[in-house]
Amino acid sequence: MTATAANSAALAAKPQTLWSTAWRQFRRNRLAAACLWIIVIYVGIWLYAESVYWTAYLRDVVPSYKVTDFDARNAAPSLRHWLGTDFTGRDNVAQLIQGVRIAFEIAILSSAILIPLGFLLGALAGYFGRWVDNAIIWLYSVVDSVPSILSIISISYVVGRGMKGIVIGMGLVAWVGLCRLIRGEYLKHKQRAYVAAARALGAGHLTVMLRHIAPNVLHIVIITFTLLFPRFILTEVILSYLGVGIANEPSWGVMINDAKQRLWLGVWWELGGATAAMFFLVLALNIVGDALRDALDPKLKTAEGSAT
Amino acid sequence: MVYYGEGGDIKGFDPVKASDTETAAQVCKVYEGLLEYDYLVRPYRVVPRLAVAMPDISPDGLTYTFRIKKGVRFQDDPCFPDGKGRELVADDFIYAFKRVMDAKTLSTGSWIFAEHVVGVDEWAKASEDQSKPTDYSRPIAGFEAPDRHTLRIRVTKPYPQLLWVLTMQYAFATPREAVEHYKDDFLNHPVGTGPYRLKEWRRNYRMEYERNPTFHGQRYPAEGEPGDREKGLLEDAGKPLPIIDRVILYNVREYYTRWQMFLAGQIYSAGISKDYFNKVINQDLDLTPEMSRLGIKLHKTPEMDVFYIGFNWEDPVVGGGKTLEEAARHRKLRQAFACAINQKQLSEFNNGRVTPASGPITPGIAGYDPARQYPWRFNLDLARELLAEAGYPDGKDARTGQRLRLTLDMGGAGDAEMRQMGQLMVDFARAIGIELTMNFSLQAEHWRKLEHKESQLFTSGWVMDYPDAQNVLQLWYGPNESPGVNHCNYKNPEFDKLYQRILTMQESPERTALSQQMVDVMLADCPCAFLYHRLLYGLMQPWVANFKPHDFPYPNTKFYRVKPH
Repeated sequence: MTATAANSAALAAKPQTLWSTAWRQFRRNRLAAACLWIIVIYVGIWLYAESVYWTAYLRDVVPSYKVTDFDARNAAPSLRHWLGTDFTGRDNVAQLIQGVRIAFEIAILSSAILIPLGFLLGALAGYFGRWVDNAIIWLYSVVDSVPSILSIISISYVVGRGMKGIVIGMGLVAWVGLCRLIRGEYLKHKQRAYVAAARALGAGHLTVMLRHIAPNVLHIVIITFTLLFPRFILTEVILSYLGVGIANEPSWGVMINDAKQRLWLGVWWELGGATAAMFFLVLALNIVGDALRDALDPKLKTAEGSAT
Repeated sequence: MVYYGEGGDIKGFDPVKASDTETAAQVCKVYEGLLEYDYLVRPYRVVPRLAVAMPDISPDGLTYTFRIKKGVRFQDDPCFPDGKGRELVADDFIYAFKRVMDAKTLSTGSWIFAEHVVGVDEWAKASEDQSKPTDYSRPIAGFEAPDRHTLRIRVTKPYPQLLWVLTMQYAFATPREAVEHYKDDFLNHPVGTGPYRLKEWRRNYRMEYERNPTFHGQRYPAEGEPGDREKGLLEDAGKPLPIIDRVILYNVREYYTRWQMFLAGQIYSAGISKDYFNKVINQDLDLTPEMSRLGIKLHKTPEMDVFYIGFNWEDPVVGGGKTLEEAARHRKLRQAFACAINQKQLSEFNNGRVTPASGPITPGIAGYDPARQYPWRFNLDLARELLAEAGYPDGKDARTGQRLRLTLDMGGAGDAEMRQMGQLMVDFARAIGIELTMNFSLQAEHWRKLEHKESQLFTSGWVMDYPDAQNVLQLWYGPNESPGVNHCNYKNPEFDKLYQRILTMQESPERTALSQQMVDVMLADCPCAFLYHRLLYGLMQPWVANFKPHDFPYPNTKFYRVKPH
């Protein structure tokens, strides 16, 4: 009786999915959980910044963060302007908040290009092998052999500067890592029994690739997305700092570029503010990304652990 | 005596390619031309350099005969037999002039002779044939050497600017042996007659010059303008040049580093960045006590330049317009935009280092009048009124209700000051309801866009090549449209007719009046919104003597002296 009752209790409990196990493991990592909160705060700021931008856009008025006050330019921090004002008297905190919007928009839009591209090419290469694999390996080797910043700058020359150039540039350059991982997973999965079974039941290539194998490799996409997110942000900042990125909207890179000249005069708050905003977000994303990888793909962790 | 300074990014030492000020300053240390500007006398005048005297000009103004100094030698160099520099002859100038006109050298200076000198255009055309090397033995009728030391230049119509352009680096004597010996590497091996020779050049880092031992001799001028003697500028009168034995120049791109090097006394001069201005210059626009204590000297001089925002005449929104009605509307739009630019704020942004421009003619040029009022000076009420008349009340298209969106192309991508300036323009346009988008490019890309007429609005500027209004007015002469220098692609037959008249006239009050008439014609059409002329604020170490600000300062290092310190 006892044994039966225990069995039925086990049967009544929820099944342990990959996601629920991962979530439990992720929560055990306190640092990662704290970082997740930081990211949630940034997401909140991002949504607020979007609302400010879109409200002004739809009402066809000048957004508050662009309103200038020339007489109050280059002001020091005060209760009204916590991080002082810039060269046209705009509030630096408002600029910083809009910088979050630009960082998120760029990271998300670039991912929207990168993920389908990397996933599709990786899946095709891994699943079909032979000449398809060779062609795709050749393609990503070529893309990967050019320094990414140079490629992005070149692409932005062709498609146009600013947000569009950065997004398309990063999307077309950064897919290689994801493509390699997905290719490896497809190579492995296509040998599995469930794939053979699906084929035996008459499933077509496309169905096997997308309905049977894809759900089993989706966690790779999530891990890659989390780890690439900070890279996108840093690349945007570097490009804007170099003057080939964002020009008409606030950006952390632009703020740092503006602030560096005045650092000599003891004006540390502009540079400090933008750097801190970027630092905490990038750090939190990296830690969460690592924790997600550990939680979702324990084998990857082991493999890396033994390799190092 | 060693002199340390700062040299910029340079293209090399080929005179025919020295289109920018940094390159020109280096080329002028090694090479020389027939004429040069007087160092001390103002207003500017040209004096003979490799010529014995000023040229004999025929009564019809079409033939210039120069006698060239005898005994002048090129510096010793392995390109000559036995490494000994040979004597300069008239043919060296003809060879140099041909190189300027040769399409294969990609010279940026062919404009100095094109359409002016007899036979140059046909010669230049023939040089475009890429299938064979350019035939330098083929004569150009307008350049003749009747004997070894006589050079005759014949022009098709009077060309009073010829004497000015002959001071430019494009017209410097070049030995054929060096070009043929070094071939493509000639860019890195200057061989001239000038006061210095290049000892070492580490690209983008350091340049070192030493006194040219075979320099033919030039003496420090004995005549200056009133006040020069009191300033000690004539103390070295009559002394042989160059005074400094070695010149070492560093290329330091980062302003902060340059500034620290200046404060440490490692380089002789420094400009002042906008952000450092208040640390260095006080409310009275003089040096702060901290700087004065160091003995640093401040030079404030208006520069011969003008900066503006151009409108592309071929643009469907801001351009010249296809019908009379459209032309009138577009004109009002351009005028409205110009009226929205707050020149006072621009000046404050630049810490007062610029003066508002009222037109194209720069300070120091006949025809410049500081009291003249710019018709499209900052006036928001007028700007809004004109904008409404142009069909955009409150910045919205009256027909569609859409906001007017314009794009401003700017060069200098990566330059924080440039971007901040663009931001100011965006604010100015926004004040009258126009949404302006900045579009940054690297300088080379910016020029390419202008040359291909791809911009709608663009920032540009002009630094005078010689002190004559014609030099800047050419920017709006119809036939000079892009890829020529008229990047606004402005066309007005009345303006063009007047331009053709002043082109052949000698300087006179009548010519100045015509130049002003041209300015009036152009300002009414408003093909560009004028911004400012720069004021040069230069800092100089106390150990530099004989420095006098000059608008064409390229060969002037030879006059400087380093005091013991």
